[in-house]
Amino acid sequence: MDFSFTRQQEMLRNMVREFAEKDLASIALSLDERGEFPYDIIKKMAQLGLVGIVSPKEYGGTEMGHVARMIAIEEVSRIYPPLGFFFQAGHLGMYMFQMFGTDEQKKKYLIPLCKAEKVACTAVTEQSGGSDPSAMQTTAKLVGDEYIINGRKVFITLGGVADICCFVAKTDDKFNAFFVEKGTPGYVIGRKENHTGMRCIPVNELIFTDCKIPKSNLVGQEGRGLVAALTVIASIGRTGAAGIALGAGRGSYEAAVKFAKERELYGKPIINLQGLQFMLADMNVEIEAAKWLCYYAEWLLDQGKSTREISSEISRAKLFSCEVAIRTNIKAIQILGGYGTTAEYHVARRLKDSIELLSAGGTQEIMRVTIGRNIMA
Amino acid sequence: MSLDIVVCIKQVPDPEYFSRITIDPVKQTIRRDGIPTIINPLDKHALEEGLKIKEKFSGKVTAVTMGPPSAREVLEEALALGIDDAVLLCDRAFAGADTLATAYPLASGIKKLGNFDLILCGNETVDGATGQVGPQLAELLGIPHVTFVNEIEWTNERDLIVKSTLERGYMKLQVTLPVLLSVVKEINEPRLPTVLGIMEATEKEIKFFNAKDIDVREGTIGLAGSPTRVADVFEHKSKRKGEIIEGLPEDAVKRAVKRLRELKAI
Repeated sequence: MDFSFTRQQEMLRNMVREFAEKDLASIALSLDERGEFPYDIIKKMAQLGLVGIVSPKEYGGTEMGHVARMIAIEEVSRIYPPLGFFFQAGHLGMYMFQMFGTDEQKKKYLIPLCKAEKVACTAVTEQSGGSDPSAMQTTAKLVGDEYIINGRKVFITLGGVADICCFVAKTDDKFNAFFVEKGTPGYVIGRKENHTGMRCIPVNELIFTDCKIPKSNLVGQEGRGLVAALTVIASIGRTGAAGIALGAGRGSYEAAVKFAKERELYGKPIINLQGLQFMLADMNVEIEAAKWLCYYAEWLLDQGKSTREISSEISRAKLFSCEVAIRTNIKAIQILGGYGTTAEYHVARRLKDSIELLSAGGTQEIMRVTIGRNIMA
Repeated sequence: MSLDIVVCIKQVPDPEYFSRITIDPVKQTIRRDGIPTIINPLDKHALEEGLKIKEKFSGKVTAVTMGPPSAREVLEEALALGIDDAVLLCDRAFAGADTLATAYPLASGIKKLGNFDLILCGNETVDGATGQVGPQLAELLGIPHVTFVNEIEWTNERDLIVKSTLERGYMKLQVTLPVLLSVVKEINEPRLPTVLGIMEATEKEIKFFNAKDIDVREGTIGLAGSPTRVADVFEHKSKRKGEIIEGLPEDAVKRAVKRLRELKAI
């Protein structure tokens, strides 16, 4: 057994940490207040090779793997979770092409996506509920060489800025995965949701009205669209949410430790109060536990395990990390007292961002259902 | 025309963890166990300048460091930034060196590498902070040097005008290659390594030179070759004195200025 990160992974962590502390910490507050998608920062992350970190080199990626992706997401989210959310959601679209796309699709779309010249999203959820994707109403009718799409997707992260949208629709009683490019007639970006957290990452409704797309926009095998999307959501979406939560928790835990060492009450730093030591110890244990659940799931993916084989490992990481992020952030707010909810200390902001993760990539209850089914089997 | 650029770098304890450094009262040494190490911050600026010059004129950037085997880590980081070659001067005989006994092996190692046009150093390190190794190295190599360099302006590929920071201003110096320049942080903004750079760095070869490889004379290296000795190591405790001057702002400011004058602070 070897729990150590490789030298490459350590160097990657140092690089992302330096980037996040230098380039993100100073603008996190204003990015959140403006709520605008930070194209410049995303481009910079692409230049560093972070956006394509899990994609093959031949398609513009850096191919460093899933553990490396977790490191990048954790470190970015430690400072500013919404940029971790970009990785989580943006990689969903990229991974659809990567795992199920044709060579031509990968060349045409994956390369500009790795460079962040284009942004992708993945749309599965509808009004009928994200936890029950089989109830979706969006249809894809094959007429000649074209599919005609009708329907409505909701809560699509990056929907408003995505140049390419991978989505699932029903053709008769089969689920197919497709992609559509921004500007295609009949494809309209709808309302932007006014969410509490992840303020600079747009979440939108997407509307298809007699939208015609060529047959070649099919991604993966016919009839396997929902399986493809769920595979990508498990391997990229759930691990991504887990990583953001890990970073959001760690960032606020560190802020609480720093504050407790500096803030004096009763003539000495409050870290000397055993009550606070207990809180910090609990935070410390939970974050370390979440960390190893997250990295273990990613390590298994790097070992070539399928999402079906490791559905419990992935679900545990997502379930636990997201709960830890919320608990840790609330404890950090308590330790910081009156400062805890001020914008300057960034803790309450991380709490708001963490709340958004509860339903991202599958609800906490779906994680429990997945683990429960494996226990029953 | 292409330039052979050598950048001298040093592995130093991360200043963020300086508060954890303790002193061994018996051995009179600094305990660095468990303190993470980094490339000396100013050396990163030297590396950046080297890479920028290579991008301008083409050529080769080689990083050289002297230290224990673990110092290969800073060379890996330099390789990740895009330098071409890395050399580690590593021998137990180098241990305990002062600045002069550091400059000797560096000079010998650089001579062993062959041609060089430009040597770049950080102006000083965060641990020793003497700023001596650069100038000593230049003297040993018989080339001119300029310290506190914050700007380089190239007249042509051999002649350059460098701006050197002074306490209350700067001076401009015209120099011709080969030269050694010690740089300060204002010179540039160091780049971050890319993911691909990191992946390639750990696969590149790092050259190891021991004392024999670089033909250094006994008595010029390590503790034996060091003309200076650390007489004492102790923890410096500084205390701040505070005085509170109360009253209306206008009056209080006047009295504060008067008090500062009395203390010869202004």
